[in-house]
Amino acid sequence: MGDSLFQLPDELLFTTLSQTFPCRDAQIRAVATLLHPHAAPCRNLVIHGTEATGKSAITAALLQALQDDTEKDEPLLRYVIVNSIECITARHLYESAIAKVAEALQWQGGATRCDSVSQMLVELSKMLKYPSYPDNFRFVLVFDGIDRQREAPITLLPALARLSEIIPRMTSVFIITSPPAGFLRTSFVPYIEFPNYTKNEFVTILNTTSLPTAPLPTTTIQETTELWNRFTGAVHDALARSASRTLPALQHACTSLWPRFTAPILAGTHAPREFSKLMVAARVHFQDESLLDPGIVAVRSYSSSTTTTTQAQAKDNTAAQLSAPPSQANTPRKAHSTTTTPSKPKATANPLVSATTTDLSTLLPPTARLLLLASYLASHNPTRHDLVLFSTFHHGRRRRRGGLSVGMGRGGHRGAQSKHRKIARKLLGAHAFVLERMLAIFMAVRGEWDPKWLDQDSSSREMDADIEMAIATLASLRLLVKVGGAGAGGMAGDQMDRGGKWRCNVGWEVIRGLGRSMGVEVEEWLVE
Amino acid sequence: MAETHDETPVFSEEDDHRAVYIFNPRAGHHTSLAQEKTARPVKKRRVSSKRAWSASAADHAGAVPHAEEETKTTTTAAAAFSQLFGGKESVEAAGLRRQVFDTAWPVLDGRIKNVLREANRTTLEDVSSFIRDAEGDATRGTRIPAGFIITGPNIASQDVLFEQLSEALGKATQARFVRLRAAGAPNLKAALKKVIRDATAQVSLDGGDRDEDTEVALGRDGRKYLDYDLEGLQAFFGAQQDSSRRVVVAFEDSEAFESSLLTDLLGLFHSWQGRIQFSVLFGIATSVELFQARLLKSTARQLFGAKFDVVQADLVLDNVFKSAIAGTQATLRLGPTLLRSLLDRQRDQVAGIRVFISSIKYAYMCHFYANPLSVLLADEKSLTRQLLQPEHIQAVRTLDSFKAHVEAAVDARQLKHAQLLVEDDGYLVRQMVEQRQKKQDYLMQLLRSLHLLTSMDLVPGRFTDLYVAALAGGLDLTPTIDGIKRLGADDVPALINRLLTAIRTGSPDLDLPGWEDEAEELISSLCEIRDEIEALAEQAQEKGQQALKSKFTAQSKVLRTTVIAQKVQLSQDTAKLTDEDKAFGKAIDALVDLLTHHIYSDPVDSLFLHEAWAYDTEAPYRDVFVPRPGTTFERALTRPHAYLGCECCSKANGTLSATLPTTCILYRLYLETGSLVNVADLWSAYYALVGEDSVDGGLGEREALVQFYHGLAELRLMGFVKSSKKKADHVAKVKWLL
Repeated sequence: MGDSLFQLPDELLFTTLSQTFPCRDAQIRAVATLLHPHAAPCRNLVIHGTEATGKSAITAALLQALQDDTEKDEPLLRYVIVNSIECITARHLYESAIAKVAEALQWQGGATRCDSVSQMLVELSKMLKYPSYPDNFRFVLVFDGIDRQREAPITLLPALARLSEIIPRMTSVFIITSPPAGFLRTSFVPYIEFPNYTKNEFVTILNTTSLPTAPLPTTTIQETTELWNRFTGAVHDALARSASRTLPALQHACTSLWPRFTAPILAGTHAPREFSKLMVAARVHFQDESLLDPGIVAVRSYSSSTTTTTQAQAKDNTAAQLSAPPSQANTPRKAHSTTTTPSKPKATANPLVSATTTDLSTLLPPTARLLLLASYLASHNPTRHDLVLFSTFHHGRRRRRGGLSVGMGRGGHRGAQSKHRKIARKLLGAHAFVLERMLAIFMAVRGEWDPKWLDQDSSSREMDADIEMAIATLASLRLLVKVGGAGAGGMAGDQMDRGGKWRCNVGWEVIRGLGRSMGVEVEEWLVE
Repeated sequence: MAETHDETPVFSEEDDHRAVYIFNPRAGHHTSLAQEKTARPVKKRRVSSKRAWSASAADHAGAVPHAEEETKTTTTAAAAFSQLFGGKESVEAAGLRRQVFDTAWPVLDGRIKNVLREANRTTLEDVSSFIRDAEGDATRGTRIPAGFIITGPNIASQDVLFEQLSEALGKATQARFVRLRAAGAPNLKAALKKVIRDATAQVSLDGGDRDEDTEVALGRDGRKYLDYDLEGLQAFFGAQQDSSRRVVVAFEDSEAFESSLLTDLLGLFHSWQGRIQFSVLFGIATSVELFQARLLKSTARQLFGAKFDVVQADLVLDNVFKSAIAGTQATLRLGPTLLRSLLDRQRDQVAGIRVFISSIKYAYMCHFYANPLSVLLADEKSLTRQLLQPEHIQAVRTLDSFKAHVEAAVDARQLKHAQLLVEDDGYLVRQMVEQRQKKQDYLMQLLRSLHLLTSMDLVPGRFTDLYVAALAGGLDLTPTIDGIKRLGADDVPALINRLLTAIRTGSPDLDLPGWEDEAEELISSLCEIRDEIEALAEQAQEKGQQALKSKFTAQSKVLRTTVIAQKVQLSQDTAKLTDEDKAFGKAIDALVDLLTHHIYSDPVDSLFLHEAWAYDTEAPYRDVFVPRPGTTFERALTRPHAYLGCECCSKANGTLSATLPTTCILYRLYLETGSLVNVADLWSAYYALVGEDSVDGGLGEREALVQFYHGLAELRLMGFVKSSKKKADHVAKVKWLL
C-alpha cells in the first residue's frame, strides 16, 4: 500500500471496461486516475459532454470496478450517485444524497430533515469527517445531471463544490452537459470531456453492439458482417452527419433500415457483395423521416382494426413484423366479440371510423369547428379590417378579400408599410385577440357559414351555454389558448371573462381542412 | 321571455315552479318574528336529516281525512313531491307519482350503464393485453409503455372508461392504477403526490393539497420519505413484497396538461423504469399527431406507444337511445320535439353522452314532478279509483287530446260516447283504463314496425331519426317502397328471410321479444311469397332467362336509335316481359301490400291521453341544460320589475326612470356609450336623473354617489365593465354581445 505514491489501477480493469464501452479508453483512464485513491484523487471533477456519450454509464461502471478492485483488505473507496432528474426539489436532492451516503457507509441514524447545503454538510461531516477511516480512503459523491436540478438555488453548485474543502476525503463529481466557464466558483477543477463519437467510432460501436446475430439466408456470417459494416457507414453518412447525431438514434435508424435494406438479398435480386446496387435500391428508404423521428406510436396493431393503413406498414417494416403476434392474438378475440355482441354493424363500421378519427374536423362538432375558424380569423386578421370584412351595414353582402389589397397599396403611408412587411400574415404567428371580438366574428359569420342556423327562430340564435361550453372544450384541448395576465395560471382568471385575451393555437393547414369540411374557404376571409 | 315559460309546467302554481322567483323581503313582516325564527331551522332540518323530514310529513298526512296507513316510504315520497292542483292533490297521488318515478328510472339507469360499459369492452381488452405484453416486448428497451386512447372531444364522458380500465388493469396485471386529471395535478409535486398516494392507497388525512413538504413513512425500516419521492413508492413495494411493482398512470385529459409537466413526469418515470414498472395511458381528444407535436422529441423517444380507439360516440348514442328511449322498458315516452333537440344538440354541440342521459333523467323528473296525470302510469294495483280525484278527471277533460278525441267521436256520429265522456266521470275513468292497453298496443306496433323497417336494411338514415320521425308524423312503408321494388329476384327472398328472423328474434337492444305467435298470418304470407318467387326464379332459369325482371326494375321503355340514310330515327319500344317476370312483379306488389298493411304507426299526439305518458316540452330542458346567462342578465337589467314585482318600475317599461335600481339605470346609460366610458360623464348623467334637480328624484349628492359606486361595482362584477389603462378616469366596455 505504502510502497509507492502513485499507482494506477490494474490494467485488467481497463480492458474489461473498454470492452463494454468501446472507443472511450482515454476518458476511462482519465477519470480513473482522478478518482483512484492511490493515483491522483482530486476534490472536484467535472465530467461533461452531450447526450448519449456514455458519461453516466461509464462513471457508474468505473466506480463500481474501482470499489471492487480496492476491496482487498479494507474499504478504500465508496461512492454514491445522485440523479438530479429524480430529485424534485433541492431539499429532495440533499435528503436523498444523505440517505444514500448513509446507506453506502452503513451508517445508522441519519437525520431525516435537511433543508440547506449547510445542514447537508453537517450531516456529511458526521458521517465522513469525524469517524476514523483507513488512510487514503476516498468517498466519491456523484451528482448526475446536476445542471437539470429543479428548484435549485443559484448557490447550489458552488456550495457543493466546497463540500470537499471541508471534508478532505471526499470527491464531488459533477456530470453535466456543457459547463459554463467557472460555474463552480473555485479553482483547480479538472474537466473531462466526453466528446461525441466520430464516424469510425460509430461504426466500431455498432459492429460490436448491435451486429445482426443471425446471418442472412444464402450468405455467410462473414458476408453479413461486412455488409453491416459498410451499411452502418452509409447510414452514418446519410443521417448522422446532418441530423441524428446520437448513438441511440443511429442505432435505431440502422436496425429499422436493415430489414428494408436487405430485402433485395432475401428476394434474391442482389448479392450481398453488390453494395452500390443495394444502396440504389434502398435510396427511397433512406429518405424516410420516421427514421429520424420515430414517433410515439410504436405498436400500430392494437387499434381495433387489425389491418392498419397500408401507409403505416410501408413506413415501418419492423412495425409490420412486430404486429404479427398481437394480430394473431387479436383475431380470435375479434371473432369472439362479433359472435357475442348482437350489434353486428359495430364491428364492420369500426375500421372505417378509425381511419378518419385522426382528422380534427371529424372529431369536433360543428359549433366548435365554427368557433375555431372564427378564432383563427380573429388571430390572423388585424382588428382594423373587421368592419370591412364582417359588417353588413352598407352592403347587403359582406365584402371579402380583393378590394382590400388595392386599398392598402394606394395610400402612401400604407404602401410603405406593406412594402416593409413581406411575410404573409398567415405565416406569422397567431396574434392575441379579445374574446368578445372573436364572439362577434363568430356571430357575424355564423349565418353565412351555417345555413341551418338562419332557419331557427331568432330567440334561439343568441349566445347560450353551449357556445361557452364549446369554448371551454377548445381551451381544454389547447386549440384555443388564453394568453397573458391572470389566465395563464389557470386558476386566477375566469375563463369566460369577456375581456380576456386568447390566441388560436392551430396551424393554417388544419384550419384550411377544417374550413373545407364546413364548406368554407378560409382564405377568402383573410386579409393579406 | 316570460310568455314562453308560461306554457311549460302545466299545473304548477306554487312559487317554486314559476318562471321567475319574486323576491319580496317585506312579506316576512306579516308573519310574526317567532314564526320566522322557527321557519329557518325547520328548512335546514329538511335537507339534512331525513327522519325529521318524514316525521313532519307524517304529521302532515295525518291532517288529511283520507289518510290510510301507508308504508313509511310512501309518506316520505309523498312529501318529496309537492301536491299539485294548487295543493288539492292528495298525498297518496303525489306519493304514487314519486313511486312511479322511483321505480321507472333505476331500470333505465341500469340499462344505460350496461350499454356504456359494454361499449368499452373491446378497448379494455386491447389496452390490458397491450400493457401485459409490453412487459416482455424486446423491442421496447427501456421505453415506457404508453397507451393512447382516442376518446373524442368529450373527455368528461370517458369517466366510465377510465373506471373500467382501473378495474380491468388491476385484475389483469396486478398493477396499481392512478388516474390523473389536469385540474388535480397542476404541477410536478402535486402530480407525484397523487401518484404515490393513490398507488399506495393511503388516504392522507389533511387533504394533502397544500404545497408543504410533508413526510410519509412507507418502507419497513421506518425511513421517512418526502411525499413526492418515488423512492418511497419503491420502498412501499418492497415492504409489500410486491414483485411486479407495476403502476399504471392514466392522464385522462392529456391535452389539458402543460407540456412541461408531461415532459418532467415522463422523464422521471423513465429514469425509474428499472425499479418501478411504470406504464402510462393518455386519454386523447384530438389526435396522436397533435399530442406528439406538443412533446419534446427526447420525451417522445422515451415512449413505447400504441393507439386505441374507443367506440364512437354516435354508436354509443344509438345504443343508449335504443335501450333507454325507444326500448320497451321506457315508462315515459319522450316526444319528438324534445328528442329532436336532444339529438341535434348531441350532433352540433360539445355535449357528451352524459348530458344526454341527464337530459333524459331530467325529462322524467319534470314529468312526474309537475304533471299530476303522470299518476296514470302507475300499475293497476296501486292506481285505485279512490286515488283519482275530481281534479284529475277535470284535468283530463282539459287536455287537447281529450278534445280531439271527443270531436273525432262526434264526427264519427258516436254522440253517446262523446256525451258520456264529457258528462259521466265513471265512464271516462273506464275509458282511461282502456287507454292503457291501447297505449301498449300502440307502442308495440310502433317498435315492431320500426324493427321490421330497420332490419330490411333498405332505409338510409339512423334508427334515431326514424324513431323521431315516426313519433312526429307517423310511420309507413313509403320510404322503402322504391327500394323493395327495385330488388332483384335473389334479393327479395333474402329480404323476406331477414324479416322472418326479425319477427322471430325481436330486438335485444330495444328489449323487444319476438312475436312469432302473434304474427302467424304475416309469417305464412311472407313464406308464401318467398316460395313463389323462388319457384319463379327456378322456372326462369330452366327457360334460359338470366334473371327475373319485374316491371319496376326492367327498363320498360327502351329508346331505340336507328340510322337510316344518315338520319337518326328514334323510336320507343316496350321491353318484353315474360310471364315469369309478370308474376314476379305481382309477387312484389303483394309483398309491398302485405308490408304496408303491417308496418304503420300513427303520430304519438294522435292518441287520447298521450299527455299522461309522453313528455314533449323543450323549454324546461333548455332552461336547465342550455342556460343563457347573457339574456337573463339583460332581461333582469332592462326589466327589473319582472323580478322585483314592484309597482313603481312597471310604469317605466323600457324607459329610464329614477325609480329603477341604480344598476339598471347605469346599464341603460352603459348601452349608449362607446368602448371607453368616462365615469364622470356617467355620474353626471346618473345624477341628472336621480338628483335633487330631477323631476321625480330627490336623492342627495352623497347618497346618490354611494348608490352610483354600488351600481358600478355591480356592473363590474357582472363583467360589463373593467378598469382600463388606456385613459384616465375611464372604464372599458367589455360586453357587446349578450
